[in-house]
Amino acid sequence: MSTKEIRTKIKEIISQVTGIPPGDISDGASYREDLDLDSLSLLEIGVDVDYEFKLGLPEEDLQTLETIQETVDLVLRHQASAIPV
Amino acid sequence: MSYRAAQPESPQTGNPQTGSSQIPDRRVVVTGFGVVSPLGDSPRELHGRLCAGACALAPIELFDVQDLPVTLGAEIPGFSARDYLGEGNLRPLDRTARLAASATERALADAGLSTEDRHRLSVGLILGTVFGSVGTISAFDRRGLEAGPRYVKPLDFANSVINAAAGQTAIWHGLPGVNSTICSGTSSGLQALAYGADLIRGGRADILVAGGAEELCFESFLGYQRTGRIAGSRNAAPPCAVPFGAGRNGFLLGEGAAFLVLEAEESARDRGVAIRAVLAGSSSGFDPSRGHDGDSAAASLKRCISMALHQAGRESSALGAVSCSANGSPTGDLYEAQGLAQALGDAAGTVPITASKGLLGESLGAGGALQAIILLESLRRGQLPGIGGSESPEAGLPLGRLEPTPRDVIAAVGLATSSSFDGHSCAIVFDGEGGTNE
Amino acid sequence: MQEPIVITGIGLVTPLGKGRELFWSRLLAGDSGISPVSSFDTSAYSVHLGGEVKDFRAREHVKNLEPESLGRASQMAIAAAYEALEDSGVDLGEIPRERSGVIMGTTSGEPQEVERFDDRYVAGDLRSVGREFMDRYPCHVIPAHMAAELGLAGFNLMIPAACAAGSYAVGQACEVLGSGRADVMLAGGADSFSRITYSGFARLGAIAQEKCQPFDRGRRGMIPGEGAAVLVLETRRRARQRGAHVYAEVAGYGLTCDAHHMTAAHPQGDGAARAMEQALDHSGIHAQEVGYISAHGTGTPTNDRLETLAACRVFGARAGGKPISSIKSMLGHTMGAASAIETAVCALVIEEGKIPPTINFEDPDPECDLDCVPNEARDQRVDVAMNNAYAFGGNNASLVLRRPAS
Repeated sequence: MSTKEIRTKIKEIISQVTGIPPGDISDGASYREDLDLDSLSLLEIGVDVDYEFKLGLPEEDLQTLETIQETVDLVLRHQASAIPV
Repeated sequence: MSYRAAQPESPQTGNPQTGSSQIPDRRVVVTGFGVVSPLGDSPRELHGRLCAGACALAPIELFDVQDLPVTLGAEIPGFSARDYLGEGNLRPLDRTARLAASATERALADAGLSTEDRHRLSVGLILGTVFGSVGTISAFDRRGLEAGPRYVKPLDFANSVINAAAGQTAIWHGLPGVNSTICSGTSSGLQALAYGADLIRGGRADILVAGGAEELCFESFLGYQRTGRIAGSRNAAPPCAVPFGAGRNGFLLGEGAAFLVLEAEESARDRGVAIRAVLAGSSSGFDPSRGHDGDSAAASLKRCISMALHQAGRESSALGAVSCSANGSPTGDLYEAQGLAQALGDAAGTVPITASKGLLGESLGAGGALQAIILLESLRRGQLPGIGGSESPEAGLPLGRLEPTPRDVIAAVGLATSSSFDGHSCAIVFDGEGGTNE
Repeated sequence: MQEPIVITGIGLVTPLGKGRELFWSRLLAGDSGISPVSSFDTSAYSVHLGGEVKDFRAREHVKNLEPESLGRASQMAIAAAYEALEDSGVDLGEIPRERSGVIMGTTSGEPQEVERFDDRYVAGDLRSVGREFMDRYPCHVIPAHMAAELGLAGFNLMIPAACAAGSYAVGQACEVLGSGRADVMLAGGADSFSRITYSGFARLGAIAQEKCQPFDRGRRGMIPGEGAAVLVLETRRRARQRGAHVYAEVAGYGLTCDAHHMTAAHPQGDGAARAMEQALDHSGIHAQEVGYISAHGTGTPTNDRLETLAACRVFGARAGGKPISSIKSMLGHTMGAASAIETAVCALVIEEGKIPPTINFEDPDPECDLDCVPNEARDQRVDVAMNNAYAFGGNNASLVLRRPAS
């Protein structure tokens, strides 16, 4: 999956949790400052991202995410490491 | 039409409390209404459509009814909380909470309670419900079963508590006062009003939004069919959910939310808002046989009604209308008729009685609050909806006025009763004469 | 509450055992009721401990209804009700049946019933769902089952105010009695161990791996539990007339709503503080008179910190130096039963002059600078006790109990 596709999917997830249309969510948005998300909503996004991309992430990784870009990077890293050798 | 000319300067008639009741005489008045129902989202529309005999029962579209034998229910067609709640993130609110918050919005607006007022006057919320949302609770659990516990939805977990709709509604509207959820089966909605009235009488609160909310969802829709209480679920007979109807064979589920703004009389006068009615008396009881013994069930309701009338300082002969909970249940409707007849005495033959669940569906926790709103609108307009449906009443029922078409209401005192199949009963007497015209 | 209301009976089913005497002795001994969860498989979870009620056999307690026709919370509530009635010496046969009633609190009601439905749903076996789902599941059936078992025809209500529900139930029972509408009320709370509750708190990261350590700097969370507590309440006049033993008087209560967030408390503990202030005001009791506080004390980092803030706002620095302990350190969080059990504890503290400890306390937290009665019970006369409880939905409740006038 390309970076763009990943970002689009993540924005869809954020939109479902926040009610903000995907088009209104900027690529560089931070969850707490720009989107005003509380910890419960943030966790919901983390769960949905983990589930969508089948990441099986450790708890700590989900809880430290602060921006959309960090989330995209996390998914990319996971995809890279998941490529069978 | 109104039943009484405006007389805001007239002194209130003395203390309605009589007898052994030790409740101090803070009068509880009604200053607002909010309703979201399958037959309209204002008391006027709901009342008008009921009087016109409109029926909300139709094949369910909200969810897949799978292969269930009964497919009828009373949905709120096209319900969108956005229409009521405006901007804001609705994701944290499930359907029950959205219904509750929407009807609460209407009630707060109707009572003239601004955002600032709600905080300053510490407005609270009392919400009657049977399930909160068993749809949310079950979906949350199934996600854990299907995807693994790490993938359960945190926002749904917040709504897995039965008081979620009350909490979400208080958060949405900023209601910092007492916040209680009340569960007593299908009498929950009336019970929430009675509970709220107690808190105001006792000086625990000045203004409360009180009523009930319930959603239609697959889980309860299936669950009640399996009890055999749903019309048409027992055998191949077509559903007949006409209250008191000769051929009735159960109830059909509905949904909705309805709230009254209850207020201490002095608070309403301080705010200068119209007093629409007085919640003059209420009482609750329980039938330990839970409907297995008809005499016990009827006696339980009779006692509630008698005590509510007593607290209101009214005789049954003063009643202008009754709004009862009959929903098509073969035994439940019979026991409610018997309880009413025993409590009302001679008035059982003369006071017009309505039961709206044949048209609106059995909306469980919302049902009692809808009954109250229908009753109060009927008192205001001088017309009580008929008991819809072409089915004629069961022969021999001890009630005289179960006509299918609207009746004139000639006295402004009304009674709402609820008799729930798990044993709970509740009765409330509203006095329209204590109110001032709008 | 014009007429003073008193507690004359206590019945308990808890992770520390059934029955008031066993419970109280184990509580004072600082025993733990926590053990690996047995009611469902936790192997897919990162946490495994719970506060389950062990060796509970409904057949030993339910006499008139068919025990197997009831959910577990109903069964436990009936057991607690019988014990409380016996303890009080109330003879139901001497009271008109419409003059006695039940008000209960809960978080989830009978969650095991909907979980059974969910199992069948996921297995594609909805055909096997019978009438028992709706006969057992809706939470109002808990007080209904109690009243049907005992033959009580008065006020009957469930107030599912989540983890503060027991206090809401006791408060409302006082209103019913105080306004002369009943002679005797049973009030309390009940919840059965729940996969739904466990999954949710586990997902929030709110469950402790090893132990529940309220107010400790290293606290890692709560531990879900189950149980039931029922109190017998009646007017002081009636209790005196029949020469009943009185544990404590319910002096007053306060109920508020944060109106802030479903699962997170107000950042300054505002609603919690208002509930305490309201309860003191309603009781006509000065903050200085309070001799013991039963904390909500779940052991989550946030709850205990905010609870400390709120208690300090009301009672001053270090909550006025008052002992404030959390029995959840021993029982886990029994959800809808918790504040009912804790109300019973407040009554017993006043009666016995002993304060149960907060166990597992190792390292003081400057953000929870309180006398949490660490690890050892304490002998201390208490005349006024406050029970605090907070819940999802921002529902807050504070109850004040006091020594009965002699």
